[in-house]
Amino acid sequence: MLESDETQPRQETLDEYYVIDGDCHYMESFHDVAEYMEEPWKTKFEGSNFDEKGAKQNLSSFFPFSTGDRQAHGKITREHSSYPDEPETPERIRDGMKSIGVDETLLISHLILSGAGTTADDDRQTAFAKAYVEYMLEEVLDPGDGIHGLAPIPYSDVDASLEILDRIEGEDAYVGACFVTAGATPPLGNRKYDPLYERCEELGLPAVFHTGGAGLDEYVRAGYQEMLETHTLGFLESNMSQIVSLVVQGVPEKFPDLDIVFMESGITYLPGLMARLDEEYLKRPEEAPLLEKKPGEYITDFYYGTQPLEVSAETEYLEKCFDLVGADSLMFASDYPHWDYDRPTTVTDLPFLSEDEKKQILSENAKEVFGL
Amino acid sequence: MSTTELIEVKPDAKFEDGDRELVEVNGVEVGVLRVDGEYYAVRNQCLHDCGPVAEGAIGKKLVGEFVEPGKRVEKEYDDDEPIISCPWHGWSYDLESGEQLADDDIVLPTYDVVVDDGVVYVDCQ
Repeated sequence: MLESDETQPRQETLDEYYVIDGDCHYMESFHDVAEYMEEPWKTKFEGSNFDEKGAKQNLSSFFPFSTGDRQAHGKITREHSSYPDEPETPERIRDGMKSIGVDETLLISHLILSGAGTTADDDRQTAFAKAYVEYMLEEVLDPGDGIHGLAPIPYSDVDASLEILDRIEGEDAYVGACFVTAGATPPLGNRKYDPLYERCEELGLPAVFHTGGAGLDEYVRAGYQEMLETHTLGFLESNMSQIVSLVVQGVPEKFPDLDIVFMESGITYLPGLMARLDEEYLKRPEEAPLLEKKPGEYITDFYYGTQPLEVSAETEYLEKCFDLVGADSLMFASDYPHWDYDRPTTVTDLPFLSEDEKKQILSENAKEVFGL
Repeated sequence: MSTTELIEVKPDAKFEDGDRELVEVNGVEVGVLRVDGEYYAVRNQCLHDCGPVAEGAIGKKLVGEFVEPGKRVEKEYDDDEPIISCPWHGWSYDLESGEQLADDDIVLPTYDVVVDDGVVYVDCQ
């Protein structure tokens, strides 16, 4: 609130009137208000990552959080946890890799994950992506030491995206192009994105599709109440919608040498999606005239990051999912440092994988796809 | 050709384009169709859920061509590939080969049609 200031201009005029302000904002803090809350909200808010104002470097400043706090309201407190107030540093990345047992890593921008939800203009995403490419190249990426990058592609602006792809041509530090699946409208199989896939194919850069938290609270419809709901459904929906679009619109037929990778939705959704799409395709193949085989067969041609792997699923079911997707299509992914990260042990612990399959998933597939 | 292997359908002169007749061949129902002057015969039992596929719509296969990145896929009907679609759920088959358009591992039984002395027959071998 403003303090009375008798020296402000035109004070004499103001003194002549009794004034009521119909709209003034009191900047309360979450912590102060939490003291007066009933349980369980008192405990939840006090332990949340919203902190005092919910407007810090951490996720609360840009991700929607009406369905909850990623750190589960203070439950997740580990070292190298996601969204610290302090920004990342190259040293901290190396510490993080060591802490979970990773030798080489592919970094993506965590801020670009929210960019896909920016629909007001396309300048911000483009400006951010271009600057990120330079910053990472200059200060963070270190391919000789196993720290590689994926260049963010602000696909809404095709020309700017092509400029980014031109920029990273020949830069060994960048081993792929990253497309955020959340919020892509029209979906990423649309012909408007063809030039991007054509260029990636030409450069030998895999197209890595990464779901994200953008628009998560209202990913299809508003009104969800818990992150358990939105985080389960939203991540799946974002990836599934783009997989279906890419396949049905024939992107793998248009660009047969393009490697396509999808991240961060586990793997159990894939057999279901394959079955669902194949079932539809049998009834209306004329709507996907570029396809030379069933959609599910293209889906297994793609690569998938394993995280967050559904290790609690019935073993027989999980094994069947691995069989259907194929160990040659899977790559270990940690999602470090996010709250639901996986360690490589999620793969090494699987009882049904052979040693060769574990090695394939933990490193060999990635070496081949990303040319590491 | 032994006449015992042939199932009579009807006189060629009475078979007009678009006509179809159902006959029994080795205990199963077979649809005989004339499309653009050509005869076809397919089993009248869709491999999806046993629907009366031989009574379904006749069409042409829609083919697409990727011309160049960023351009619309060019789509046109192939006059040389007549298809038939089951009226129940739309499973479609190539009339000549019986192959399901979405999966050529699924093949609807087809039969040769012969015209002998002005009469149309299905060869039941």
